Amino acid sequence: MTSALLLILLLIPLAGAAVIALGPKEKDDRVIALVTTLANFLLSILVIGQFDWSRSGEMQVTTTVTWVKAFGLSFSFGVDAISLWLLLLTTFLMPIIILGSFSAVKERIREFFVWLLILETAMIGTFVATDVLFFYICFEFTLVPLYFLIGIWGSTQRLRAAKIFFLYTFTGSMLTFAGVLFVAFFNAHLTPDVIAGIQGNAAATLQLATDKLPSEYAALGSWSFNIKTLTLAAQHMSLAQQSWVILAMLAGFAVKVPIFPVHTWLPLAHTEAPTAGSVILAGVLLKLGTYGILRLAIPMAPLAAVEYAPVIGTLAVIGILYAGLICWVQKDIKKLIAYSSVSHLGFCVLGLFAFGNVIGPSGSVAYMINHGLSTGALFLCVGMIYERFHTREMRQYGGMAKVMPIWGFFMVFFCMASVGLPGLNGFVGEFTTLMGTFTSTSVLGPWFAVPAGAGMIIGAIYILYMVGKVVLGPLKVPPVHHEPDADSHDDPHAASHGHHEAPKDLNAREIMTLVPLAVLCLLFGLFPNLILKTVETPVRMLTQSASRVVFERKLENEPVSPPYVAPPKETAARDENERMTHQAALAPSHLAERNDHAEVTP
Amino acid sequence: MDAAKYIPWLPFLSAVLCLVCCAKKSLRKLAAPICIASIFGAFLIAVFVASSVPSYSPGKYEAGQGIVTAWNWIDVGGLTAGMSYFLDPLTILMLFVVTGIGTLVAIYAAGYMSGDKGYARFFAAVSLFIFAMTTLVMADNLVLLYLGWEGVGLCSFLLIGYYYEKPSAVAAAKKAFIVNRIGDLGFALGIFLTWMNYDTVVLSEIAVKAAHAGVDAAQLPGGVSGSALDWWIPFLLMLGAFGKSAQLPLYVWLPDAMEGPTPVSALIHAATMVTAGVYMIARLIPLFSPHLSPYALTVVAIVGGLTALFAATIALCQYDIKRIFAYSTISQLGYMFLGLGVMSTVGGVFHLFTHAFFKALLFLTAGSVMHALAGQLDLRKMSGLRKKMPVTCWLMFIGCLALAGFPLTAGFFSKDMILADVMARAFAADSEGHLHLTYNKFFFLAILGLFTAFLTAFYTFRLWFRVFLGEEKYEMGDEHGHEVERHEGTEGRRDEGEGHGGHGHEAHGHGDIEVVHHHEPHEMPWLMNGPLVVLALGAIFAGLFLGGWVEHSIRDSTAAIHLAHGEHHPKLLGMDLHTAMMLISSAIAITGILLAGWFHWLNREAARNVAARFPGLVRTLENKWYIDELNDKLIVKPLRLLGEICFAFDRLIIEPLVSLAGFIPRFAGSLTRPLQGGVLQGYGLSMVAGVAILVIIVVWKLTT
Amino acid sequence: MNYPLDSLALSHFLLTGAVLFALGLIGFITRRNMIIMFLCTEMMFQGVVITLVAFSRFHMNAGGQTFVIFVLTIAAAEAALALGLVVLLFRRKRTLDAQAWSAMRD
Repeated sequence: MTSALLLILLLIPLAGAAVIALGPKEKDDRVIALVTTLANFLLSILVIGQFDWSRSGEMQVTTTVTWVKAFGLSFSFGVDAISLWLLLLTTFLMPIIILGSFSAVKERIREFFVWLLILETAMIGTFVATDVLFFYICFEFTLVPLYFLIGIWGSTQRLRAAKIFFLYTFTGSMLTFAGVLFVAFFNAHLTPDVIAGIQGNAAATLQLATDKLPSEYAALGSWSFNIKTLTLAAQHMSLAQQSWVILAMLAGFAVKVPIFPVHTWLPLAHTEAPTAGSVILAGVLLKLGTYGILRLAIPMAPLAAVEYAPVIGTLAVIGILYAGLICWVQKDIKKLIAYSSVSHLGFCVLGLFAFGNVIGPSGSVAYMINHGLSTGALFLCVGMIYERFHTREMRQYGGMAKVMPIWGFFMVFFCMASVGLPGLNGFVGEFTTLMGTFTSTSVLGPWFAVPAGAGMIIGAIYILYMVGKVVLGPLKVPPVHHEPDADSHDDPHAASHGHHEAPKDLNAREIMTLVPLAVLCLLFGLFPNLILKTVETPVRMLTQSASRVVFERKLENEPVSPPYVAPPKETAARDENERMTHQAALAPSHLAERNDHAEVTP
Repeated sequence: MDAAKYIPWLPFLSAVLCLVCCAKKSLRKLAAPICIASIFGAFLIAVFVASSVPSYSPGKYEAGQGIVTAWNWIDVGGLTAGMSYFLDPLTILMLFVVTGIGTLVAIYAAGYMSGDKGYARFFAAVSLFIFAMTTLVMADNLVLLYLGWEGVGLCSFLLIGYYYEKPSAVAAAKKAFIVNRIGDLGFALGIFLTWMNYDTVVLSEIAVKAAHAGVDAAQLPGGVSGSALDWWIPFLLMLGAFGKSAQLPLYVWLPDAMEGPTPVSALIHAATMVTAGVYMIARLIPLFSPHLSPYALTVVAIVGGLTALFAATIALCQYDIKRIFAYSTISQLGYMFLGLGVMSTVGGVFHLFTHAFFKALLFLTAGSVMHALAGQLDLRKMSGLRKKMPVTCWLMFIGCLALAGFPLTAGFFSKDMILADVMARAFAADSEGHLHLTYNKFFFLAILGLFTAFLTAFYTFRLWFRVFLGEEKYEMGDEHGHEVERHEGTEGRRDEGEGHGGHGHEAHGHGDIEVVHHHEPHEMPWLMNGPLVVLALGAIFAGLFLGGWVEHSIRDSTAAIHLAHGEHHPKLLGMDLHTAMMLISSAIAITGILLAGWFHWLNREAARNVAARFPGLVRTLENKWYIDELNDKLIVKPLRLLGEICFAFDRLIIEPLVSLAGFIPRFAGSLTRPLQGGVLQGYGLSMVAGVAILVIIVVWKLTT
Repeated sequence: MNYPLDSLALSHFLLTGAVLFALGLIGFITRRNMIIMFLCTEMMFQGVVITLVAFSRFHMNAGGQTFVIFVLTIAAAEAALALGLVVLLFRRKRTLDAQAWSAMRD
């Protein structure tokens, strides 16, 4: 089904930004921004209505805008279940972020909201792009608004943070682009017999005439940036070529995720960014990396993905433990949560590369959504106390639950979500990624899952360390920040004790920003199938080539005709399972799409 | 039976309502009635469905039998874990314990906690706990069980840290959660392995499959399945059980957990949550079959036995009455594991059942004492309270008798069953049917168990004699109500020390706080004593009258042992082994009580003299074998150091390395920078020169 | 039919253009006054333009002249802009010396 809905989704924030930029009064800007993002959220719910969940693996609600026809340049959008969830996450978080920064931003309000809205367009664009070019443009463009958000509204070291953030991620993604271009080049130079082979195979499985195949088959051998076309073509790259491609792509995506050891930009950027920036970074931007890996790197270089899965898995596990341990010795709350993101995303990456079953990668997608919710909420919570006391040092806080019980409740709640307490959302991703890793014995297996599982313990340690220092314990309130008359308190006694007045607990607006997040945390914790079940098919399609590689490798390793000894039960069962996965992998991914395209191309 | 799915959600609803009550001061009073009603409601549903619950046997099991599904929880890639509940007699038994004792404790707490600032918060957490605990015992699959498992951990964290302004409470709460997490990791890995092995996480199916696998493996030469998966599963699950049920080496959190309000200690840290490990192993006992994993149960037995002894030795020399009971809980849990380890699931669960009554009773009476003395917990600062609190005195006496295993009390029967089963395991029949002492390790474990029983009787009555008998003498504690108000002067004082033994509470007495006590120790109101009477009845009669029911419940559940070991009745001292063990343990219990009476009632000087003879031993025991210090030195400090090293590595190595990459273009730039000096004429000149060179080259090329 | 061009060969125009260009170049390199430097660049520019027109006429191809008109318009705009910039720079440092603006040197 084609629909311009996604295009509208992309344009609304831009329009909102234009209205704010040209609008009459600065004090209305916040409201306009809020209305825009809310409208966008409601529209994205409309997308759900148009989405056919029974075909969750296909791109739906598609639109194409032709740009330069001669080079196959067109912008096309569409969503499958994975992108739809991430799209919803983005549109859901944006109003909350804007509501959350109503009072936090005091200067250059207009620019702030303009940049936020532009950023929303860029993020949405990345998730809904079905061609690499638009994906890449949006992927890159997210840097610009965020650069300004950090550089202008950040805290003390903001310029350095913005610079490092920009250069770091930009350098990486240049390489990604090189990789993408190589695949496009490879596709454009496919020999006719290879093309005929692909089309023939597809025609056979789809039972269609060769000239009636879906459009992505027609684009084989010419310049095209369609992700599906490129994916089809990329299967024919040699291992060496695939290795270079995945290396190039991971250069960008790994920085974005971030995977150890290219994570050092993240703590700095997170710490220095204004609350809105941190929430967007943790909530959405980091997922661009994992999404890119899942959407581009793994399908386009399945051989190499399987080949290097242990290497990446090792880096992910190191990241989980290393960043977790670092969290524990932080003095700055925001830095702690920032490093915890590195640790959490390690689980996510680990799950992505747990080929052989869909549990790991599906769990990974769930992890992306859930991490966005819980860590985003944690940053909001921290932002709220930062706004009151203007310090992020844990040393200065203590027992805040006494004076800010509502805040304390939310903080503990989201900490528990983040630490992976079952019944809340964090658990689902953590458990399934670990389980996928553990059971994908031919790629990762227990040697990766067990140390990664130790990350669960470390996670509990550092989160409770923070909760114990800030929320619980003897009351310690940092001096309340008074901007206009800082010296009006001349009572030395009160000053020496470090607090002047009881801080105010959360107001209605702040509660309103946190409640939706908390509700979703609980919802996805109790009904994780909403995500898991729907992303299973698309995930299976994206990882099918890699799974096939795993399966074939397994066949090779087994002796040709083993003397029959009653096989231990579990391997038999496992083989059966993998065979099923394999069969699923062999089943044409486009089979169900036939009808779809018959509609599109009359 | 379908109604059973509301059992967990009733308390959940109550938790949400209580949370709402937190927000408004006027609603706070409502929290307790809501909580009590919901738990009691859950209890009633459990009673209601109990009769319709099908019994389980692996031979006649049909898929889906006894399962009530609320909704499909997790379903991805072949992993199917429903929000669904498995009902068999064992579940019902556990539900009775959890909701029954939960109701009693909640009623008690309504009185105990009254006037506390966090009244609604307390009941919200208790409701949430009942939700998690009922989910745990009702879960039909391992993943849901894990939800309950971690859920009770969270509630334990919230309730231990209930007095969150006390640093020691916060530290204890953190410790409980983290130590439990270590066990949980093992449990999670165990779930993964089980899923790999049996392709299902549904408990009843696992039990069936494992039972069959066990039977199959028994046919193999050696009688043992060689599969590594089979071998590992029980060990990983065991780790989870040891964490939750506070066994060696993961027991360290439980004594500190006494920082929570006393009803919590009674409900969570004595009667229900800590027995989850016992429940889990009993439930999954087919996985622990010696044919699948030959050493698993032996390890369980040895760990259980050693824990029982170890904790009992510590309990001997503690002064904090709640901690004494905490160590005694650990010790009794050790008994339960000992029972499981010799495949006496009946014994293990029976002891769990009786223990729930008398230990809850003991904790609650200890709470009453503490309440009466304004938070005083130090055994050395109270004596002869019998006159002041007669009801509490005799209630605790009943509890102590049961714990000590005095003949015909509840604890007597269950403990005796375990010890007899352990002893029975030590014997094996030879080809002619004569029994011989074959397995020495089990014989030693039985002796160890008997010795521990003696210690138990001794330390239990040491406490009782000291608190209630002797000359009347006491010092009040330092708590006004329960909230420890902190004044300006203590602000910012870092109170890292966790307080060893009973010293934790003394530490707060300085500063500006001038405590004036004007109230006398008093008897508790009947709102609080009422539930205690019910518990006391259970502590006396549960063993005598409910043993058969417990045994039947186990036989009809997945915890039933279906191993083909011959029913033999070994003899000891010329009597039936059970009778012999009963006599021996009765004698031991009475000896222990008498000795305690001598040293701690009639002749306290003697006790002091004996202690003075072994100062080193006493000090070691008072300091709990220095395990906390050891953990701190060997695990916490190095791990934190590692964190510091990682952080330094991050800042000093990785960041500069990345910056180095950024330095390369910078360096290249510095090489060519002088060329762009900013002198326009220079640019012009170089341009002209460049053009000239080009022209020359072109002309040269064209002309030659 | 006495066209001026008949008496003037193409080379004359090219020479004029070349001389203009050379003068401009020399001026640009030797002078430091920004306005004069700017004028010099204009002179070089005109030299090129004359060459273009001459070739256009020589080849009887209107393209060159069209291009010149186009370029002249742009040059006008550019001159306005450049002079504005020069004024701005002068205001900053109160001098027209181009050397004053060599900030890029370390």
